[in-house]
Amino acid sequence: MFTYTVRRITELIPVLIIVSVIVFSVMHLLPGDPTELMLAGAEGGAVSAERLEELREVMGLNDPLYQQFGNFFVGAVQGDLGTSIRFRSPVTEIVLDRFPYTLRLSLAGLAVAMLIGVPLGTLAAIKRNTWLDSFSMALSLIGVSMPIFWLGLLLILVFAINLRWLPTTGAGGVKALIMPAFTLGFVSAALVSRLIRSSLLEVLQEDYVRTARSKGLTGRAVLVHHAFKNALIPVVTIIGLQFGHMLAGAVVTETVFSRPGLGRLVVNAILWKDFPLVQGTVLFLAIMYVLVNLIVDISYAWLDPRIHYG
Amino acid sequence: MQHSVTQDNYDGDATTRRRLLRLFFRNRGAVIGLLVLFCWIVIALFAPFFSPFNPIEIDFIGRVGPSWEHPFGTDRLGRDLLSRVFFGARISLLLGVISVAIGLVSGTLLGLVAGYYGGRVETVIMRFVDALLAFPGILLALIVIAVLGPGLGNVMIAVGISTIPEYARLARSKVLSVKELPYIEAVKGLGSAGGRIMFRHILPNISGPLIVLSTLQVGNAILVGSGLSFLGMGAQPPTPEWGLMTAEGRNFLNRAWWISTFPGLAILSAVMAMNLIGDGLREALDPRMKLDV
Repeated sequence: MFTYTVRRITELIPVLIIVSVIVFSVMHLLPGDPTELMLAGAEGGAVSAERLEELREVMGLNDPLYQQFGNFFVGAVQGDLGTSIRFRSPVTEIVLDRFPYTLRLSLAGLAVAMLIGVPLGTLAAIKRNTWLDSFSMALSLIGVSMPIFWLGLLLILVFAINLRWLPTTGAGGVKALIMPAFTLGFVSAALVSRLIRSSLLEVLQEDYVRTARSKGLTGRAVLVHHAFKNALIPVVTIIGLQFGHMLAGAVVTETVFSRPGLGRLVVNAILWKDFPLVQGTVLFLAIMYVLVNLIVDISYAWLDPRIHYG
Repeated sequence: MQHSVTQDNYDGDATTRRRLLRLFFRNRGAVIGLLVLFCWIVIALFAPFFSPFNPIEIDFIGRVGPSWEHPFGTDRLGRDLLSRVFFGARISLLLGVISVAIGLVSGTLLGLVAGYYGGRVETVIMRFVDALLAFPGILLALIVIAVLGPGLGNVMIAVGISTIPEYARLARSKVLSVKELPYIEAVKGLGSAGGRIMFRHILPNISGPLIVLSTLQVGNAILVGSGLSFLGMGAQPPTPEWGLMTAEGRNFLNRAWWISTFPGLAILSAVMAMNLIGDGLREALDPRMKLDV
């Protein structure tokens, strides 16, 4: 177990290096000179060539690429992601400032996904081939086929504009979190219910379930004590994957509901051509995603005693 | 979206193909999906013929909600939404097909080479693919857009690139299960070159799962692509693109619900059709899933 954990962590290092190479190259493939963009906002009108050159020197843009990457990488490891062109403040500060909003939204979305997905999938598996099964499968088909920005707008239309139950936008309070969380969680709920259904159906055919049944246990006891625990193992894996999708889904959800957060930040940073900010936010999100997957992998090995990892 | 396309029993043989078709057409959902997709294809092909109005003609005086003249109403510039939704079908279907083609071709190529040659080539390719997987969902497409700039063509490229990892991993795992089979040994013994073996002998035998994945990905590509346009990264006004149209109605929800509602419904129906077809194909191809029907 310990060796497995250590191995997984060491395997992470090359991935993180390649990720930062990708993010760094993106910034340098971008058309346009960042110094020009920086000064265009600051000093307005004509920018002298000397001033540009000076700034380029200060920002290290005249150094060879490998050296620039080295500086970027060393900085990133120490938590320095550069300076935002638009805000003129450290990217790390901006990212950490927005992150709690996105984290709250993602966790709420995950909760919605589990609260809807698990019961729906379980019911579908137990009541297989009944209307309940068809209903939950139809719902999950809609879930995976629905554009989430549209779902968000429909919710606003119904619950904020027509019924006036919930606020349209903003980040204040639990009430403002309900619609975004549902929007974000619905797709995942669909995937989770599909997964639970198929995994439970598989487990229900196992020998130990048949044994439990034949020794006279009730359907409920078989389900709770024997089937459900084993069916949940793949669900742990999908939680990690879904958490990543929540981070990405936040891009759209935060825009629809005008919530502050990393998703909206990255979209705006792209539109503002604030490259250091794009670079820093994307790197941060990717690292978060990789770390969550690592935690999930490790807990998966820990949960499933059948598999022994070297 | 994650798709797991597992075992397959596809071998391209005529009777197998007939059996697959029979299984596919016995699936009610798949047939419905096929019908809906067919309708959208016809609408896309003959959009000028079906559309009652010019999709980009502005008419400030004639702004109305759904009526006999404008079944879907008009948008804030008085453009007929039904016509815009019809023309939008062209864009979304094209986006789905082109981005899937980009992802399928490049991903399969990477996976084939990695799986067939193994060793260092495989390590380099798969590490790169793993790194791409570190960017969840729409994020990878967003990065590509950040480099290329907003626009519909760039969205197709971005969405295509963002699906490369899935194809590459699937193709590689399939190659690994096929390449040790006796018939590959045989053609190797006959002196075939690596390229010929990969494309003539391995590719046809791993195509089943790749086709299923592609079908499911068309729907996904339409979702991600319209999402990017919704964010302002894709199609630019006055293009009648479904995601962009949904965004255009966003600020008028309290006065004109129809502007956002109908384009979104169009996306939902097209994507759902593709998912139904993909699920039907998967169930027909995969013997394990067949037990579920």
